[in-house]
Amino acid sequence: MFATLKVQLSLSRPYLTRNELQQAYKNTIPDRRSYMQRKLVIFKFMSDICVQFQFPRKTLETAFYYYQRYYVFNKFETEMCHTVATTALLLSCKQVETFKKINELCIVSFRLRNINNINQDIIENFKKRIFQVELRLLEACCFDYRVNNRIHIDEYIVKFGKHLGFTYELCHLSWVISYDILKTDLLLILPQHTIALAILKVAFELLKLKDWPVNDYEKFKTNNDSINEAYFGVLNYYINAFDSCNLKDHTSSKFPPVSLEVFMQLKANSSPETGLKDFTMKETEEDKYLTTARDFTQRERRYVLSSKFVKEENAIINAKKRKLK
Amino acid sequence: MSSSSQFKQLEKLGNGTYATVYKGLNKTTGVYVALKEVKLDSEEGTPSTAIREISLMKELKHDNIVRLYDVIHTENKLTLVFEYMDKDLKKYMDSRTTGNSPQGLELSLVKYFQWQLFEGISFCHENKILHRDLKPQNLLINNKGQLKLGDFGLARAFGIPVNTFSSEVVTLWYRAPDVLMGSRSYSTSIDMWSCGCILAEMLTGKPLFPGTNDEEQLKLIFDMMGTPTESTWPTVTTLPKYNSNFSIQVPKDLKKLLQPFTKEQLDDIVIDLLNGLLQLNPSMRLSAKQALHHPWFSEYYQQQPHQ
Repeated sequence: MFATLKVQLSLSRPYLTRNELQQAYKNTIPDRRSYMQRKLVIFKFMSDICVQFQFPRKTLETAFYYYQRYYVFNKFETEMCHTVATTALLLSCKQVETFKKINELCIVSFRLRNINNINQDIIENFKKRIFQVELRLLEACCFDYRVNNRIHIDEYIVKFGKHLGFTYELCHLSWVISYDILKTDLLLILPQHTIALAILKVAFELLKLKDWPVNDYEKFKTNNDSINEAYFGVLNYYINAFDSCNLKDHTSSKFPPVSLEVFMQLKANSSPETGLKDFTMKETEEDKYLTTARDFTQRERRYVLSSKFVKEENAIINAKKRKLK
Repeated sequence: MSSSSQFKQLEKLGNGTYATVYKGLNKTTGVYVALKEVKLDSEEGTPSTAIREISLMKELKHDNIVRLYDVIHTENKLTLVFEYMDKDLKKYMDSRTTGNSPQGLELSLVKYFQWQLFEGISFCHENKILHRDLKPQNLLINNKGQLKLGDFGLARAFGIPVNTFSSEVVTLWYRAPDVLMGSRSYSTSIDMWSCGCILAEMLTGKPLFPGTNDEEQLKLIFDMMGTPTESTWPTVTTLPKYNSNFSIQVPKDLKKLLQPFTKEQLDDIVIDLLNGLLQLNPSMRLSAKQALHHPWFSEYYQQQPHQ
């Protein structure tokens, strides 16, 4: 007699395309508008915590990746947002080694929401919820930390900027833009070094410089399609959300004047809009990874790090089956 | 783990800082694995050491580094599934102890293990990863004589800036003098010091610098390797825990000190390698790549067609 193994096997897919995300959100975000509004509030909340603790930009960037990734696979509920955000920051601190005691994070999280009269019981309960969410968050990422492990947008703006001989002003402008861009879905779609290079390109054009010096993106371990995806992602963000962007508040004399029209003009100059090749919505509908809600009642959930291991295991199982026949 | 699990949990292999390791069997494939059960901290949640280990080991695919296959989440427990290795170097050396007197390993075996250690650590360093906790317990060996680096719980990726690491890394006996004196700007050289300590331990069968606290550890190091000065190690006096009252010692002859405990006659070439690894000044220490090209290994690299 054979025992049945009840195991759920998931392969890590750290980046998803726009259509893949859209498909996944069908399960998790019933009201996209409410999610987007809340996302901005949460971004401000997380930024404030980072300012309080003087965390570097990479802590915020990693935390916001986690926050957004959580809602790709978990249902969006307004009342849970701050818990998810605080958890995302806790996990980010562990990941990028800007360690902070969970108690301190909880206290600041309460204070910034104007929740006073907190006692140890309240903190303990909050911690319990955070630990539950932390595991969900780790599962949403399939325990795959390659995304946020070493490469961060701001660091690569500086490194690429230096390598390309760009001025301090250009890099500073890019750094300001990169803060705005953390609010977009781009982090879930593309690796950070690609986003960094695309932001430098936008800043280069905002400063009306001529002859963008990069022709061969392979040298930067990326490609044309990815850069275009990020580049148009940046322009579209400013065109759609200029009123709420942070860039417009940076009125340094060294910065070029920016307006909605400027970004529309940049887009017009670069059209047609291109980017990553995407799956059709029909294809994504057939992708169980996106359409099937994660079954957390399944007792054992394996997160496999390479498809090679799955193939090897399959080959052994098939060989055994053949032997039995 | 229940009987419905993919992996059958077998005997306990050991306790780590944040986890317990068991031997396991993949029921589907019949392949043995090591199951590292991570204790979820009731105070801080998932240990950052587990997070670091998972993130770094996923990137490291090399013959001399233990492979991480997958991560299993079972209710409130995390289990990391690693490639199975028969034992660690510490247990292997202990198994060779006769009575109370520790035994060094045969020179040819020491050379083979040390070569593999350098191959593994060189790969880590090329990939900008510091192990930060090299010691015999973290070097795993199998019946084929393969040696692989394991336990990346303290490892981290390095890059720029490098001056923010904690000084609380590396088990005391294998900790470099710069780290002991409070340097926070260490890099790959921290692992190379540990490699030197491990080489000496394999030769003699006993730890080279078995200190019980930071001060004693430094004293043991200086007694053997000499006390550093500004002329032998510029900027040493600016290190946070540098003490101008360190007793002045001159470097001793390593060959004379180690020979009584070794199985075979030590030659000058291995002592030269040891001296290169145990340089007090981290900038003078051999890198893993340089160590692999050291004459002691000439029989290995001369066999390789492209070297």
